[in-house]
Amino acid sequence: MSTEIWLTLLACAAGTLLLRMLPLLWMQRHLRRRDPVRQGEAMPLWLTVLAPTMIAAMLGVSLIPVSETASGWLATVLASVVTVLVWRRTRSLGWPVCAGVGVFGLVSVLALLSM
Amino acid sequence: MSNISAWRLGARDALPLLGGYIPVAISFGLIAVQAGFTAGAAVLISTLIYAGASQFLFIAMVAAGAPLWLVIVMTLLINARHVVYGPNLAPYLPSGRLWPWLMHGLTDQIFALAHTRLPQLLESQRLGWYCSAALIAWGSWIAGTALGAVAGAEITARWPLLGQVLPFALPALFIVLLAPRFTSWQWTCTLGSTALVALALKLAGHSNLAIPLAALCGAVVFYLLQQQATRTEAQHEH
Repeated sequence: MSTEIWLTLLACAAGTLLLRMLPLLWMQRHLRRRDPVRQGEAMPLWLTVLAPTMIAAMLGVSLIPVSETASGWLATVLASVVTVLVWRRTRSLGWPVCAGVGVFGLVSVLALLSM
Repeated sequence: MSNISAWRLGARDALPLLGGYIPVAISFGLIAVQAGFTAGAAVLISTLIYAGASQFLFIAMVAAGAPLWLVIVMTLLINARHVVYGPNLAPYLPSGRLWPWLMHGLTDQIFALAHTRLPQLLESQRLGWYCSAALIAWGSWIAGTALGAVAGAEITARWPLLGQVLPFALPALFIVLLAPRFTSWQWTCTLGSTALVALALKLAGHSNLAIPLAALCGAVVFYLLQQQATRTEAQHEH
């Protein structure tokens, strides 16, 4: 890689780090100025709404299967349902994910075998 | 819970991320090498930038000979959504000089995990949990890139199904993180509509806009429903 590309890489890395770091520093300063007992209320409402909606958006984007075929979508739907059901039963993080991936794999293999 | 247990819990919580990170990192390593980067350069990009979509854009634009200032602008634009992550975690992060630097590991998925888990932990356990989860995610991304750069073509040819099945770990993780938030009609509509808009935008080919735009739409839905609820409440009082 040329020197220019190295510098571009470093600029992108530094910029990305600052995008992640500076807003935290800003909010920490903002919270320090407020009453420490009522920090939750010091958070702007729009910010507390945006956090779960960002996660929901990540979910929407990630739901699209790598292979956008009928079997890929079927595997996504069935695995999502199983993930929710296992979560309702266990209220844990790991087991629902394992079950979801397992069902996704099973449907994918069955689809492959039936072809 | 001791500090060691917090590290262990962080590692356990981050494990589902590997299913999503490693296949994508392998693809990145493979594509970077095919675009003319060395394996070492690909690993360095993953280590330093550490942001999936923008890394793919970086190598594609550099390989296509795009102006380098434009590469920087586009990379930062794609990563601009990260500005809302730090402030949302701020109330749960104890004071310390290390925390701002640890934000290098604050990817979409680590944010989603931390936003759910940090409030459940004692203040003394949060640093251990975060370091553990973030290091596992970062390490898997770097290792996956190295693997993809060195043997990506062989791996994808030998186990094509693995690359299709393992990425479902990410949506499954997001489902689990979101499920407890469906506490009211307002939140159900907000989160449901957000996920659907993001899905539609991605299907329409707007991959980079999908997350921030859908999140904004979701926030608008939330405020509209709240306004309606306030109005109905006021009518009942009269």
